[in-house]
Amino acid sequence: MSIDLPGDAPDARTASPFGYAVRRQPVVHAGDLWFGYRSDLPVVRGVTLDVYSGAVTMILGRSGSGKTTLLKVLKGLLHPQRGSVQIAARCSNGRAAGAIAYVPQTLGLVRSLTALDNVLTGALSRVGTVRSLAHIFPGAIVDEARETIARLGLGHKLHEPVYRLSGGERQRVAIARALMQHPDLILADEFVSQLDPITACDILDMMRDISHNRGVSLLVTTHETDVVEDYADRVVVMRHGEIVHDSPGGRLSQPQMLDLLR
Amino acid sequence: MTARQLITRLALVAVAGLGLFSMYRIGLLDLSHVQPAAENLAEFAGALFPPNTDVLGTLVDAMLETIEIAFVGTLIGALISLPLAFLSARTLFPPLVSVTTRMLIGAIRTVPSLLWGVIFVIAYGLGPEAGALGVALYTVGFLAKLYSESFEAVDPEVVEAVQGAGSNRLQLIVYAVLPESANALVSHLLFMFEYNIRASAIMGFVGAGGIGYYMLGYVQLLQYENLMMALIVTFVVVMAVDYLSARLRVLIVPAMQGRGVRAPLFAGITTLAS
Repeated sequence: MSIDLPGDAPDARTASPFGYAVRRQPVVHAGDLWFGYRSDLPVVRGVTLDVYSGAVTMILGRSGSGKTTLLKVLKGLLHPQRGSVQIAARCSNGRAAGAIAYVPQTLGLVRSLTALDNVLTGALSRVGTVRSLAHIFPGAIVDEARETIARLGLGHKLHEPVYRLSGGERQRVAIARALMQHPDLILADEFVSQLDPITACDILDMMRDISHNRGVSLLVTTHETDVVEDYADRVVVMRHGEIVHDSPGGRLSQPQMLDLLR
Repeated sequence: MTARQLITRLALVAVAGLGLFSMYRIGLLDLSHVQPAAENLAEFAGALFPPNTDVLGTLVDAMLETIEIAFVGTLIGALISLPLAFLSARTLFPPLVSVTTRMLIGAIRTVPSLLWGVIFVIAYGLGPEAGALGVALYTVGFLAKLYSESFEAVDPEVVEAVQGAGSNRLQLIVYAVLPESANALVSHLLFMFEYNIRASAIMGFVGAGGIGYYMLGYVQLLQYENLMMALIVTFVVVMAVDYLSARLRVLIVPAMQGRGVRAPLFAGITTLAS
């Protein structure tokens, strides 16, 4: 995978048909991505995708359509067999890894650690190895972690181990950890699929707020058409590893989405 | 009958046949040995009683030494096992490193505990230090493998999430792998200590300290009442350690009580701000 610094990414003015993108360069440009866990069975087939800042892009697809694999390739956890991912990120800490935060489907939280410790793992790349191994974080980073958790409404559960938190609270801890990476893009896999509808709406409202007000892009995979209808600024539909539809949010009705999924 | 059932039955017949053949080869099917063996056993059992309480003080001291050998051996073995287990975890290190380390651990495991005892008696001379080091090396062979498997069993999404946050390998180990596998590590350690009490009890057979030295002496001198007393002391200690370790395991690993997952070793290490 090639990682390009600011200025190298393709210009959004020519690459995107969307209003919000005209002002910005894409945060991530994926060109003709191919990936398969077996070389003769591609799971992601020739995906080309630009993701722009300050917008919620939702990838809709059935189970096995390649959504999760695409996110892992974009994050760099899997290496594409063909194609490339260009990240136009500011690398304030000198490391590109923090530019894209990844929240896996099961959230990937360390259950025995407290909410605060989990959130601080998002800042590990900003702390020296020796200090972090001794669990000594700079005061400014600890303050930032506390503030981030508090802003997400969990200030009273800072020192609670994650295994004692509810599903919605864990989701917030995962978001806080992602935000501690100062990301330009958050990749979230089936983010709210295991939550009750009201908690899911709370979390999605919060995520949309973060995206629109902080300029952080969100790329969320889901198989729930109602979530896409209510929250997506842009809808990308995947089927059998390919993108079969890409349009601004609000243009597809639920029956149309279901048709595309079949 | 399906092909699968046929294969299962053939396999059972093959195992039974192999068992009978092996019994024949080692002489277990020679029934002429059964009666004298039973008579010998009965005579031996009679000679074990009554246990001689006069040697109790000596045996308690020797048993304490055995416990010390097991404790120190387990401790040293666990400390050596941890880095080896990390290096051999396929999810943490590239194949060249993990396979090489696995081979080293496998080689250590191949040597029986008594042979490790002999090796350290040659190096250190007779005494409990040879026993403790023998137990330590034996522990490494098993604990490093068990630890490595626990590290590999950590939820890959936890590893991906912490790795994806830009952590390096050491940070990944400290902030994800160790806390996530802490329950298993403690459980394996307690099991190994229980096991090492038994292993240490026979270390004295090769002069490496502990109660085994006396057991061997009593057998050689045909002092079976004393041997019985040694067996009783060993039995009581093994039962006590089993009980205590079960209690400890329940305290430390509440998942066993059905109360969900917890690792108090790491819960609440809340980070210091400098």
